[in-house]
Amino acid sequence: MDLLSSLRISSSGLAAQRKRMEAHSSNIANAQTTRTAEGGPYRRKEVVFGSEPAREAFSEILEGELAENAQTVHATEVVHSDKVVYKHDPSHPDANSEGYVAMPDINPMVEMANMIEAQRAYESNVTAINTTKQMAMKTLEIGRGN
Amino acid sequence: MDVNDKTLKALTTALNFREMRQELISSNVANANTPGFKAKKMDFEEALARALDVDGQMKMGVTDERHHNVGNGGFNNLEPEIYDNPNGVVSENGNTVDVEAEMAQMAENKLMYDALVQLINKKMGIMKYAINSEK
Amino acid sequence: MAIKDIGSFQQTLGNADAKGWSRKVDNDMASGFDIKAPGLEGGEIQDGKSFGEFLQDSIGKVNNLQQDANMAMEKLASGESQNLHETLLAVEKADIAFRTMNQVRTKVLDAYREIMKMQI
Repeated sequence: MDLLSSLRISSSGLAAQRKRMEAHSSNIANAQTTRTAEGGPYRRKEVVFGSEPAREAFSEILEGELAENAQTVHATEVVHSDKVVYKHDPSHPDANSEGYVAMPDINPMVEMANMIEAQRAYESNVTAINTTKQMAMKTLEIGRGN
Repeated sequence: MDVNDKTLKALTTALNFREMRQELISSNVANANTPGFKAKKMDFEEALARALDVDGQMKMGVTDERHHNVGNGGFNNLEPEIYDNPNGVVSENGNTVDVEAEMAQMAENKLMYDALVQLINKKMGIMKYAINSEK
Repeated sequence: MAIKDIGSFQQTLGNADAKGWSRKVDNDMASGFDIKAPGLEGGEIQDGKSFGEFLQDSIGKVNNLQQDANMAMEKLASGESQNLHETLLAVEKADIAFRTMNQVRTKVLDAYREIMKMQI
């Protein structure tokens, strides 16, 4: 049923935006991290979204029109940036021989902007879910009363 | 007025299409940040209007059930038109979804959906009323 | 009296020669009690509408209202009209008209039965 499918699509949107939030809040939290388990400073994370058909191949035959047009979204990969910024701080414990510390290339403004966008997108998906839910409830009213 | 009447079929067909439209809008909204994603639009109004041929009907008021309804072309074969939204604003990653526009669409779709359900209920109500008062 | 829809009700009235019957009743009533009914003047029966004709006209009007409502609904469903309020109004009018007509039908039937019960 289309409405059930809509719920799935919107919830995929929620999940994707949440992953995005996680990535960017992790970036903000680790803006000063110079030591990580893999060695070296923290690497900035970014999620890449990809879409795929909401309907499975089998049900395409049954559902026809919407087949590839309605798409769920997924955070398909988390990309780690290799960029590193060198700050001159000889007193830092991780400074190298010339007094430079390798810091993650994180701009808090950019991260905040991303987080705000992710939140707005999350909210719009929530609205979509609520609307879908209301439509389904309304459908149940057919024939009620009278 | 019987359960097969054309208006009821029109209402339920419109209901189905609006459900599909909701799914499409949800898809657009969920993919508002997906690189390269093109926002989709769906049209069913024209197909439905043609099948109904509303204005033609007035000239042939049906007084006997043996008479044909003009324009009662099969409702079962109606297909909506789904295509890339030409009004999409292309952002730097190739995405053309305009979230605000989609939200507005969604609100309108929901309102019309509710209206259709209400009209269907009214029609059913009248039929049930007529049945109940048969003596 | 199985009545399937408005059209057949009209037919049934016509077939039962309700026109003639109700005109006769009108005539008897008016001459018996000297009651002035609309369309009659001075106690004499002129060619005004009989009750049966009046009924048939009303049924025709109800039918028209129904057709209007159906059209309005179809236009709304196909997006031709964006007038939600007008559509709902038209539907409501047709609804009320139909229910009223149904009540009238019930009353007419009751009256008919009453009369038939009368021992002559």
